Amino acid sequence: MHISDGVLSATVVTGGWTITIVLAFLTLWWRSQESDITEEIPKFSVMTAAFFVASLIHLPIGPTSVHMIFNGLVGIVLGPLAYLSLVVGLILQAFLFQHGGVTTIGINAMNIGIPALLSYYAFKKGYDFGISEKIMGAFSGGAAIFMTVILLSITLLTTGQEFIGVAQVSAATHAPLMIVEAIITGSVVTYLSKVKPELLPIKIHKNEKSMEGSKYGTEF
Amino acid sequence: MNYPRVDAYSEIESVIHNFNPRAKIITFTALIFSFAFIESLTVALFAVLFSVSLIFISKLPIGFVYARLKYPIIFIFAIFVIMCFTVEGNIIIGSYFVSVTLEGLKLGLLIFLRATAALIIAFLMLATNRFDTIIKALYMLKLPNVVVQMIVFSYRYIFVLVDEFQNMKKSMSAKGFEIKANRYGLSTIGNLIGMLLVKSYERGERVHKSMISKGYEGKPRMDTNYNLMFSDYALTIFMIVLALGVHIYPVI
Repeated sequence: MHISDGVLSATVVTGGWTITIVLAFLTLWWRSQESDITEEIPKFSVMTAAFFVASLIHLPIGPTSVHMIFNGLVGIVLGPLAYLSLVVGLILQAFLFQHGGVTTIGINAMNIGIPALLSYYAFKKGYDFGISEKIMGAFSGGAAIFMTVILLSITLLTTGQEFIGVAQVSAATHAPLMIVEAIITGSVVTYLSKVKPELLPIKIHKNEKSMEGSKYGTEF
Repeated sequence: MNYPRVDAYSEIESVIHNFNPRAKIITFTALIFSFAFIESLTVALFAVLFSVSLIFISKLPIGFVYARLKYPIIFIFAIFVIMCFTVEGNIIIGSYFVSVTLEGLKLGLLIFLRATAALIIAFLMLATNRFDTIIKALYMLKLPNVVVQMIVFSYRYIFVLVDEFQNMKKSMSAKGFEIKANRYGLSTIGNLIGMLLVKSYERGERVHKSMISKGYEGKPRMDTNYNLMFSDYALTIFMIVLALGVHIYPVI
C-alpha cells in the first residue's frame, strides 16, 4: 500500500507534502473552532493508536495475507481530524517501524487521508438521507479503499509511465481488501451504533430498539 | 510484554550516538531527502555504502539491525522485481510473455538502492537516540506543539493497546474463534475492532482526566538543554555537504 522512498519524482513528492500540510492545518483549525484542541489531544491520540493497532491485523486471503488500512473507519469516527490521525500514523510507521517511506509521508497521507474525509461526509449525508448505518458504513469503508487505489495509481502514473505495472499489481491486491474492509467497517459501525453511538457523527434514531440487545452486541 | 523497540540500543557510545539530537534530525532528514532523489546508479550505490558504513560507525549490533530492516528491504525488493518484469524496453532475458528488460532492471535497481539508503538513514536517526530525546529536540526545533504531542501519546498508547488487543484475541481463540476471511469471521473481527475502539475511547477520557488532575495545560515543560559542540558543527557541515554533493557531483 505505502509508496516507499525513492519511487516518486521530486515534483510529486513536493506536491504531496504541500497538500498534506495545508489539509492537516486546515482540518486542525476547523476542529479548534468547535472545541478546545488541547482537550482533544489525549482522546485523539488513544484513538489513533487504536486504529494503528487495528490495521496490524493480517487477514489470510488465498495464498497471501493483507492488512487493513481502515481509512474509511478513521474518517467516520474522527471526522475532519482523521487526516491528522493518518499523518501521525504514517510518521510512526515510517520512523519507528521502518514501514513505508519518510519522503513519501506527504503523498501517502494524501492518498489515504482524502478518501477518509470524503467517506466521513458520505456517511453523514447518506445517514441523513435515511439509509441505515450498516449499509452506509460498508459503502464508506469500501469506497475509501477504492478512492485510495485510484489516487495511488494516479500518483504512480504522474511520476512515469514505467510504473503502470506496479500500479496494476497494487490495484489487483487491493480489490479483495475493498470487499473485506466494506464488510468489517459495516460491522464496526453497527456495533458502535449499539454500544457507543457518541463515537459516530450521527444521532441514532432507534435508541429504544438497540437498548434491548445485550450491551456488547449480539455476537459476544 | 517485551517489544522490539527501535531505541533498544540507544545507550551505546559512538560518534553517531553522541551527535547532537537537533543537528541529527536536521542533517539526517536532509540526507534522506537527498538520497531519495539520486539520479545515477553509481551515486546511489555510494549512498548505500555510506549509510551501511554509518551502521558500523554507530556500533549497533548487527543482529538487531538485520531484524529491524529485513522486512522493509524485502518489501522494496518486491518493487524491484515488479519493475524488472513490467517496464517496456530492450529484452535481455525471457520470451514474449515473461521478460526482463534492461530499462526495468536499471530503474528498479536505482529505486531499490535509493530506498535502501534512505531507509537505513531513517532507522539510524531513531535507533541512536532515546525516543524522548528526539521528542525534546522536535520541541526545540519549534514544530507545532499539538502535532508533537499527538505523536508522543499515540506512540505510547500503541503498546498499551497491542497488549489489550492480544488479550481480546486470546480470549476469542480460547472460545474457538479463528481469523478467516468469510462473512461470519469478518463481522466478528468488526465487533472485535469495535470493542477495541470503545475501550480506547473510554481509556482516552480517563487518561485526559488524570492528566488534567496532574496539572496538564497542553504544553510540555522542559529543563534539558542540548548545546552544540564543535564536533556537532563539523559533522553537520560534513553531512549537509554530502547531501548536496550527491546531486552536484553527476552534473560536474
